[in-house]
Amino acid sequence: MKEPSVNIPKNNYPIDRNIWLYINLPQLSIEAVTATMTKPLKDGPVAIVSLQDNAQRIDCCNQQASAWGVEQRLSLSTALAICPDLTVLAKNTLQEQQLLQQLALIAYRFSPEVIIDTAGLWLDLSGCAQLFNGYNKLLKKLYTQLSEQSIVAISGVGKSPLAAKILCDNEFRHYLPSKLEVQRTLMTTILDKLPSTAKQQQNFKQLGLTTIGDLLALPRSALSQRFNSDLMNTLQLLQGEKPSLLKRFKPANEFHDKIQNTQGLYNKESLLFPMKTLLQRLCQYLMARQCYSRELIWQFEPLLGRHQSMSITLSGNSHGWSSLLSLSRLKLEHLELPRSIEQISLFCDQFMVMPERSFDLFGDQISLQKNTSELIDSLNARLGIEALSRPTINAEHLPELAGNIASIEKSIGSEQDLGQAQKPLWLLPEPAPVRLHNQQLYWRKPLTIMSGPERLCGNWWQSEQQRDYYLACDSKGARYWLFRESTSKQWFVHGLFS
Amino acid sequence: MPSEPLLDSLLLRQDTWRGRNRSLRKHVITTGKEKLDKLLLGGWPVSALTELVTQQNGIGELSLLLPIVKHYTNENKLCVWLDPPYQPYAPSLVNAGIPLDKLLIVRSKSSKEWLWAAEQSIRGKALLFAWANRAQPRYSALRKLQLAATESLAPVFLFSPPTALKAHSPALLRLELESLEPNILSVTLHKLRGKMPGTKTQIALGERTTERTLLDKLPVNIQYPKTPQTDFPLLQKDDVQYLNT
Repeated sequence: MKEPSVNIPKNNYPIDRNIWLYINLPQLSIEAVTATMTKPLKDGPVAIVSLQDNAQRIDCCNQQASAWGVEQRLSLSTALAICPDLTVLAKNTLQEQQLLQQLALIAYRFSPEVIIDTAGLWLDLSGCAQLFNGYNKLLKKLYTQLSEQSIVAISGVGKSPLAAKILCDNEFRHYLPSKLEVQRTLMTTILDKLPSTAKQQQNFKQLGLTTIGDLLALPRSALSQRFNSDLMNTLQLLQGEKPSLLKRFKPANEFHDKIQNTQGLYNKESLLFPMKTLLQRLCQYLMARQCYSRELIWQFEPLLGRHQSMSITLSGNSHGWSSLLSLSRLKLEHLELPRSIEQISLFCDQFMVMPERSFDLFGDQISLQKNTSELIDSLNARLGIEALSRPTINAEHLPELAGNIASIEKSIGSEQDLGQAQKPLWLLPEPAPVRLHNQQLYWRKPLTIMSGPERLCGNWWQSEQQRDYYLACDSKGARYWLFRESTSKQWFVHGLFS
Repeated sequence: MPSEPLLDSLLLRQDTWRGRNRSLRKHVITTGKEKLDKLLLGGWPVSALTELVTQQNGIGELSLLLPIVKHYTNENKLCVWLDPPYQPYAPSLVNAGIPLDKLLIVRSKSSKEWLWAAEQSIRGKALLFAWANRAQPRYSALRKLQLAATESLAPVFLFSPPTALKAHSPALLRLELESLEPNILSVTLHKLRGKMPGTKTQIALGERTTERTLLDKLPVNIQYPKTPQTDFPLLQKDDVQYLNT
């Protein structure tokens, strides 16, 4: 497709709410089938056939085939009679879907609203101009990226998805037409292009209506009486009065892609080419989702026998496809592969959000204050709520009741006057009895009292407790919190100063 | 010519040496003790793994870190304690000025979970204290934590038993803590770039408040066992700074 030689009109779109771009992919079927081939097709007429009306008929053909006179819905035998050199390929709907998803990922980088059509894509361009320095630059960049994937694309612009599809040209336009131009073209478009039933088309003819403009000139009330509500609905969608309810594209939660090769691949070097393609697709996916992958899983399947897989753990840094390929290559060298590989798949379901980066005034990177609940949520999800707790404080006399451990769901008690006495940082789950032998206290090691006592009595309403707390230490310098119960004269260790 | 993001990510790393040693000691947080700051060339390293080898629990390893916990939690950041050996006692934490709702205690059920929780906490930009109670984590596991810490600019403290000193560690800073007499913590540097291993310093933790007269009446021995022989002189009381614990 050549660049248009006409002088490009200045972008006179103000910030507008409705600019829809439709990208039609006329040769999607051929591109989907040829994309997975390892050997490129030789130049020549190519056609895709599928089963229609109980016969193999042409579904899609390239320009060279069209030049021979091959067209859609022609039966296969007729097509071969017209053009004996025709390369015939079977339609593969699944691959078409996959290709559309990949292209949607590319489109997703240009617009947050992407809709997938049967053989095309809609993009809501409104508000996307600033990022790309104008609509014309955006369109040019989009076109370049589609061409890199060797995709033939034609485009149309309108103020609603339906209008954009109807106004689809037979080339990819590198500039955005003015609002007026879009409106004028829409008005002069023939009514055949409007999605409607055969009966409605018949009615249009009887009414003497030929263009969309003719139809829109009629009062709506008159139209709604003459036609059913479907047409009114279509007109509202066409004029953008009603938002399109088509499903918006969103990148999938995990990445899974594969490349099949029916001839089989026999050496590791030849595996690298399809692996590169898969990694490029992964990188597009990661860019659309704005995250990094944590682990890649490769699977190599032979025609017969067991598949072989390898996984590559990533540190979660940003990786281009080339560095991912070299990592995979290193790992591949140690892998024993079956003799011939039929299918290579790449799977990735562990991602990490791209860290947001900010700089302080002097160019130093500073860490962002991240919401801590996110971390608690993820710990909770994996380890369970019982694994998480936090210390709490209560208005109680006994140390084991005053400082406690509670589930994170419970609220923490209010602060209070805690006294000046030294308190340990560690508390034993319950006081451990201390052995007294020859006037020497033993708990794991001989203990020496250093200071004390601090008398603590309370809890008389439940069970009378009177404790004298002492600070003790052992020969290695560890300090303990001991108490001696007044009634039983028994010594206990209750905590560790740390 | 290297691409800009690559250069940025390299400069962000702790271990990238730049002229005049700029990046190496830039990201530090003061320990709150002049002597320790001097030993550690400025303070605790941020975005790095610090391994504290303690001869035993209870010698003051935790009170050494209370200033940094206070600093972080008061900045509205979470402090995760992974597998602590005992139950943290809330009143003393509150006394130290630590908001309790910023502390999170996590208990893991396996080494795999331990590593996962540790890495997750670091990547979640929390201040992590991890105790390896099960078995000393492998070198590769610790390396993973060190890398995660480098990327997320979060300090990580790992408490290890003395047996860990036999093995190599990827930690940026490795300290051995022991107490030769109560309230005095002896810190031995085992690994820090730019500093000779084996450098020692002593820090005092609190005052010795012994009320001997009262204690004399106790029916137990209050004679402190003999101080083991040291190869360096113990410090005078005036030299040491006191912690409020």
